[in-house]
Amino acid sequence: MLLLQLLVDGLQLGALYALMAVGFAIIFGSTRVFHYAHGTTYIIVGYLFYYMTERAHVPWWLAAALAACAGVIFGVALDRYVYRPIQRDEGSFFTVFVASFGVGVVAENLVIILFGASFVSISTPLTRANDIGGGIVISWLGIASMLVAVALFAFLNWFLGRTDVGVALRALSENPELVRGFGLNPRKLSQYAFAIGSLLVVPAALVATCVTGLTPTAGHRVVLISIAASIIGGIGSLRGAGLGGLILGLAESLAVWKLSTGWSEAVAFIILFCFILARPSGLFGTRARV
Amino acid sequence: MVGYILNLLILVSISGILAGSLNFIIGYAGIYSMAHAAFFGIAAYTGALIAMHVSTSLLVAIPVAMALCAILSLVISLPSLRVRGEYFVVASLGLQMIAFTVFSEWKEVTGGLGGITGVPVATLFGFRLRSLESFLAVSLFCLAFVTLVIYVLARTSFGRNLKAIRDNEVAAAAFGKNPTFIKTIAVAISSALCGIAGVLYAFHVSFVNPESFTVDQSVLIMAMIIIGGTGTVFGPILGALIIHLLPAGLTYLTFLPARELASLQQIIYGAAMVLLMIYRPSGLIGRANIKDTWSK
Repeated sequence: MLLLQLLVDGLQLGALYALMAVGFAIIFGSTRVFHYAHGTTYIIVGYLFYYMTERAHVPWWLAAALAACAGVIFGVALDRYVYRPIQRDEGSFFTVFVASFGVGVVAENLVIILFGASFVSISTPLTRANDIGGGIVISWLGIASMLVAVALFAFLNWFLGRTDVGVALRALSENPELVRGFGLNPRKLSQYAFAIGSLLVVPAALVATCVTGLTPTAGHRVVLISIAASIIGGIGSLRGAGLGGLILGLAESLAVWKLSTGWSEAVAFIILFCFILARPSGLFGTRARV
Repeated sequence: MVGYILNLLILVSISGILAGSLNFIIGYAGIYSMAHAAFFGIAAYTGALIAMHVSTSLLVAIPVAMALCAILSLVISLPSLRVRGEYFVVASLGLQMIAFTVFSEWKEVTGGLGGITGVPVATLFGFRLRSLESFLAVSLFCLAFVTLVIYVLARTSFGRNLKAIRDNEVAAAAFGKNPTFIKTIAVAISSALCGIAGVLYAFHVSFVNPESFTVDQSVLIMAMIIIGGTGTVFGPILGALIIHLLPAGLTYLTFLPARELASLQQIIYGAAMVLLMIYRPSGLIGRANIKDTWSK
């Protein structure tokens, strides 16, 4: 019974991880930017949502929409004003990574100054557990997060498969030179990648604010999980990244069955490590760049 | 006041050793490890445990910690050096997270989040290094030793092999070099040198807990190198000096709220990392040519 409950919890967690991971994978795949500040987007969205609902008493749907906008603007602005100037000078991936990390450090400490270093969370009746038969419990928020994940994946499938921008983004991750040859502007496309990628962090940030609470340092974990999931799924494969996220969420939840909760945090990275050892190209990786 | 300055200088020397040893693999070998604080921690715990249960002599603790760090780095680096670039950064970040979990959860050995307290005073050739002056002298000697080792190594054929691999691994392999072997040795040397810093730290603050060995610490060490200048001999020491003098300097600006000083310091070095990457990726005393420093 415990096992089944952990499975249900893991699915909720995994759905949110999958969204974050796909967000990272879209950005990394099409722009080659090692976007460590992906976790910073999460912090910004979460804390804005907290501030607006708990302190400014904005209705929750408006707060969520505004926070999502802020996250998208942050991602796009970062691409335009930080990553682009660096890439213009032929910066290697590590130069971009360091700058991205620096942005994360600045944002993290601004949040500490504004909100303090301890947990903040929003109390809502939606997190109360409902018995769905056989002693298995799930909250409305858990159901909502899984539905949102399914909806967003359906949207992504349509967007990347059917729209011009989506097709161009996939092309960009395959062959940037060819995209340029077709007269498309990779710079403009990368803005779309950052907008969508940042948007996909929003559900996880909003749910986490209500369920587990936020700390200023939570961003590290978010981005590491996203990166780990994209590597497990295979760099370049969005479906792989989603599946990787789901696996990590399930594994983290199921680990509680045998291990104390302190250790379960490390489970995701042990899985990542096994993958790097045994199959660096990931589950669906086509081009193992080893 | 004198005590404060001596204390600061000891911390600068320890950080200088950390930054120098990390610079050896980042700057000369192009191996971007984010797990340096993990080895720093392993050495600090080793040093603390040896001091409490075996001997307080630095001549016992330092070699044991160095050997342990080197061996553990082999276990870890042999497989992960198979992958390059982004993958290695992620793998080492993952290791850093695993190491932190082990430090805080393996309570029988590490004492959990509370850590190990009451590490006794260090001894060297039977002398107790009770005063800050004597400990500073030992720390400075270690810093000079580590800097010298790296300076010499970078100028031997081994150092040239490393740079060759950094600049073009395929070409180096074509010349009959074994990149995996050379990189593994480089990581082992770097981790062993980092072990010296760990032991000194454990004796200096006389307690160790996981808080000192987080990802943030790894980033801080990396920031020292980047601010000072990657692949230079004195850049990491300059970086360590700046990172430690910054908070000390901020305390003199009385209009700043004292409570936020730690955050302000981090904001300044975070912003410095971003601005340096945009305008001067080679660091303060690095070569102006970017491609020399950050070649893939």
